[in-house]
Amino acid sequence: MKSVIAPIVAAVVLLAGCQRAPTRTNEIVTIPTRNVPLIPTDPAWEGAPEHLAKLLPQDLVDPRLMKASTAEVRVRSLNNGSDVAFRLEWVDPTQSDMPGPARFLDGCGIQIPRTIEPNPPDPQMGEAGRPVEISFWRADWQASVNGRKDTIREIYPNAAVDHYPFEAKPLEPGSVARKEMETRYAPSQAVGNNRVGPRESPVEEMVAEGPGTLSPVPGGKPRGAGVRTKEGWAVVIARKVPEGLAPNKRTQIAFAVWEGASQESGSRKMRTGWIPLSMRVAK
Amino acid sequence: MARVYNWQLGREMSYWYPESRPKRQFAAVFDTNKCIACQTCTLACKTTWTSGKGQEYMLWNNVESKPYGSYPLAYDVKVLEMLNSGKWTGKVYEGQTIFESAPAGERVLGWRPEQQDYAYPNCGEDDCAGQVDHGAAMMALPHMSWFFYLARICNHCTYPACLSSCPRGSIYKRPEDGIVLVDQGRCRGYQECVKGCPYKKVFFNPMAGTSEKCIACYPKIEEGIQPQCFVSCIGKIRMAGWISKQQDAKPDNPIDYLVHIKKIALPLFPQYGLEPNVYYIPPIHVPLSFSRQLFGPGADEAVKAYRNAINDPDLAALLCLFGSSEKMMPRWKRVGDDVFGMDDKGATVVKVPRNEPVIVRAAYDKLYQITRTNCP
Ligand code: SF4
Ligand code: SF4
Repeated sequence: MKSVIAPIVAAVVLLAGCQRAPTRTNEIVTIPTRNVPLIPTDPAWEGAPEHLAKLLPQDLVDPRLMKASTAEVRVRSLNNGSDVAFRLEWVDPTQSDMPGPARFLDGCGIQIPRTIEPNPPDPQMGEAGRPVEISFWRADWQASVNGRKDTIREIYPNAAVDHYPFEAKPLEPGSVARKEMETRYAPSQAVGNNRVGPRESPVEEMVAEGPGTLSPVPGGKPRGAGVRTKEGWAVVIARKVPEGLAPNKRTQIAFAVWEGASQESGSRKMRTGWIPLSMRVAK
Repeated sequence: MARVYNWQLGREMSYWYPESRPKRQFAAVFDTNKCIACQTCTLACKTTWTSGKGQEYMLWNNVESKPYGSYPLAYDVKVLEMLNSGKWTGKVYEGQTIFESAPAGERVLGWRPEQQDYAYPNCGEDDCAGQVDHGAAMMALPHMSWFFYLARICNHCTYPACLSSCPRGSIYKRPEDGIVLVDQGRCRGYQECVKGCPYKKVFFNPMAGTSEKCIACYPKIEEGIQPQCFVSCIGKIRMAGWISKQQDAKPDNPIDYLVHIKKIALPLFPQYGLEPNVYYIPPIHVPLSFSRQLFGPGADEAVKAYRNAINDPDLAALLCLFGSSEKMMPRWKRVGDDVFGMDDKGATVVKVPRNEPVIVRAAYDKLYQITRTNCP
């Protein structure tokens, strides 16, 4: 029984906002572990120190965020030598996970320079020829992964739809012909730009070389999960260990948080500058 | 911001990108005097392009009754209220455009409709301005009470606010025809374009997570055929074509003739600064102060020219070409009482008489032995 109860207790403690005061570090220190945890309630997180990252409005590139929202994000990190996970936790009283006109989504992201350099690229999404790697989690993707159905009534429960042409006879449900017809009515999905709806992971891996250049990494293996806490969100984002990062080596990392209720999306976000990220030597 | 020339304002203005006009610019003329608000255009568009998931609320084409109708709700008065608009001195606009009055941190002055703002596409339908006082209003001319129908699609603007609002550059203007499109592979659904377009002709699709808009039926245009909402128009109010720069206007180009030469067709809200490319023949029965706010300082002359069309054989003839063929007619000519719509090479697409012969049919049809009902 003990082995079942212990993780639950730890999870409750974590979700309550890590009441047992964690060790605080001035930078992000990633701690070696055997298995990288992929959920924020994993008790393994208890062993990681925490960095409190202050967030600033993105007010350098138009369109900007002119009013500060989320003040800070608490970050922990664990790695197994090949993969590294970050646990981000922040305060957000409103859960925004429904897409819609003038409706925006809670989200968070991490950003790491592709190569370790003494002077990292511009923290605003990198620079031409000096890319940054970005992993991005979004609340509606989490809802889809958690099982929310891909129908208009999930978003608007009272929606009345007479008819979709691709659901008409003689197109049989599940048939190739119907799928083809359905895709013709969904242009972004037809070109592989799967912005909302069914997916395997609530995280997306991308690369950027400056504002407005964000593009998906083909064949990336994005992993992670987010849960609602009493105060806001706790999210884990996992990725491979950045190229060149090893025990006693340092790179840089930056964070961003989007608060849907404040209409934040894209460049309208709260963000940090570069924060050193180091890897602790295994004991 | 770059400096660009906007002929509709008679001056240079600021825009996010430098001036880059397409090889030729898709344009249209809508005659508001002929629209009957049957919404056939709306349905033609809806069934062609927006019957997919998440598009339920979208009307790339809509027809609203002015003064009270609007879709989305109050899209027009919201911007008019926000904009530091100013006087026109002659044909030169002295106020600010939505680009010039962009607040700090924004690329344009914009606002974002709430979801419920899209819930009333028929709001204000057939509502008169003023009260019809015991029928007396209808007895005196000009009528004290009025309304008219304003059919709207995306204006495929020369200086699109949707395009300049997008931080990812996901919206582009095709160099070959000036049609403005959202790249569905690049859009990440930030909805900046929805906020930026003062005509609210970009829509966010909640089930695609991207923004979508009128595509001017470009697959048809590429084949030399007019868009769906044009060819299905019951009132024959619409003509699609190409507009030249003001100084290059060609009299045998129907759009140039109506816009640049006769100055009878005017842009919608030119003061916003987008150089929109759908041009309206203003309604002749509406107070000119209202028409001037919608269509700019050319409204008075346009109404005068339209009223005089009966004495202007060329203009009267060209107006008969509207809705006469589904083909694009980039050139036209009048010969006697006939008007010819022609293709780029001058070959006839269609010939239309200026005056249709009047045929009176007997009340009783002897051939079919039936009485005709009084239906035109
Ligand atoms: S009308 Fe709106 S959507 Fe259309 S081109 Fe102009 S700014 Fe863009
Ligand atoms: S089809 Fe023509 S007449 Fe009917 S509402 Fe549309 S523009 Fe007006």
